[in-house]
Amino acid sequence: MDSLRQEKLQKFEEFVDRRLKPDLVRAIAERDKVFDQQKIFSDLRKNIETLEKNSVTSLRTLVNLGSEVYTQAEVPDTQRIFVDIGLGFHVEFTWSEALKFISLREEKLKRQIEEYTRLIASIKAQIKLVCEGIRELLQIPEDKTVEGRVF
Amino acid sequence: MGKPEVKGTVTSLSSMFPPEEVQKAAKMVEEKLSEKQNEMNQLKEFIADNTSLVNLVQKLPDELHHDIMVPFGKAAFFPGGLIHTNEFLVLLGESYYADRTAKQTVEILKRRGKSLMSKVDALKAEMQDLKAEASFFDSTTSEVAEDLVEIKEYEEDNSTERVFQSGPAELESPTLAEADNKMDSKLGASKDDEYARLMSRLDELEKEELAAEDDGENDEDEDEDANATETDGDENELTEAAFQWKKDEGYSSRDHGQRYSECTGLTAEPVTQGEMSHGRIIHQDSKMLNPSINASVPSEKKPVQTSKSEFDSSKAFTGSIVEHTENLEKKIPGQNTTSSESSGSKPSKPVSRFKMQRK
Repeated sequence: MDSLRQEKLQKFEEFVDRRLKPDLVRAIAERDKVFDQQKIFSDLRKNIETLEKNSVTSLRTLVNLGSEVYTQAEVPDTQRIFVDIGLGFHVEFTWSEALKFISLREEKLKRQIEEYTRLIASIKAQIKLVCEGIRELLQIPEDKTVEGRVF
Repeated sequence: MGKPEVKGTVTSLSSMFPPEEVQKAAKMVEEKLSEKQNEMNQLKEFIADNTSLVNLVQKLPDELHHDIMVPFGKAAFFPGGLIHTNEFLVLLGESYYADRTAKQTVEILKRRGKSLMSKVDALKAEMQDLKAEASFFDSTTSEVAEDLVEIKEYEEDNSTERVFQSGPAELESPTLAEADNKMDSKLGASKDDEYARLMSRLDELEKEELAAEDDGENDEDEDEDANATETDGDENELTEAAFQWKKDEGYSSRDHGQRYSECTGLTAEPVTQGEMSHGRIIHQDSKMLNPSINASVPSEKKPVQTSKSEFDSSKAFTGSIVEHTENLEKKIPGQNTTSSESSGSKPSKPVSRFKMQRK
């Protein structure tokens, strides 16, 4: 009996460690990626709003050539902005269009994040379930053995 | 061969080096190796990026103005252009920047490239070491798979260890060991512990030497030959010699050490054929041993000086040192048959080759 229990226990533990925990880690990583995207777009939105507010027509920036070597760059006309809409496409927008697009994008990202959060929660629940099962298996035999030993 | 006094145990290598453990160790080494490989790849990428950047920085000053798409954050671009194409802002680290011209920037980048290369070299050296480890584990695995058996024989008298590994079910004749064992037993049981320690060290050194000398033998033998492999010296020692070299290291070194320790006195080293191998090992060891032993030797001129106080199966040198002096001839015949045979033959041989080798 005990050996059977041990086997079951081992199987449960293995299941948790090998399937559930990596799943959890992966889900969290995916969610973090979406978080990053969300942050990028919100930053962009804020910048465009700032530009609009200050009516900036041209600006100077430093462009990273790689390995943190910067070159000065000048943007003569800031009215046109090219935004990455995914799949390698960049669309030319005016500021207002850009802002509209960004808000749409942000909503989509929010929905994705919610989904990932739900997935993560379900995985965590599964882990808890299995742990409870393990605990039960451990406790019951303990009680029995204890009774057995007590004369 | 099988003397009533000789007791022994046979342990398979697989029990000494459980295959699972060996495999685990091999896996771990492999993992480390792959980690290092990844690091190496990353470093190589950096180096490639650096070189391409050097080219770019050299090309930019060719024009006053370059039309580019200026990134704005990670997801947007502005059409614009590069200006002041000869001025570069370089990050020196720790939030320190420097305005440099193209030439100066190229120099900075080249220096960076050099440091990256040196890192790559260091990493390569580490990987070499790991590979050596991995090959050792692999060979151990294969040996274990072959069911090599470690055979230890103990002599009651001196509690000297003779350990030698035999091929699958092959019993390496304890010939070589026997001779030594016999001598050990004859010569005497107790030696100073210090002596024993010296001998054990000698044995290990001998083993290493033997491994280096012996092309045919596996290096593992040495490793696995924790215990001196001593085989009873029989007349067949020669046959065993080749195979047992490594094994015999332990005792051979011992014997030799002992003999050599006597130095002056040891002329007729019982150089059994088997011991030839030892001789090689020994002559190096003897050199090393001699200074240390000489110190102790004078104090113990007795021919029989075997430190069998400790029977340490883990050491090649079991701790008993057999010193053969002129007295050997007397003792040898008296003590053990086989050993006497072998030992007897030794004195008859010309001054041991060890001596010659030694000198």
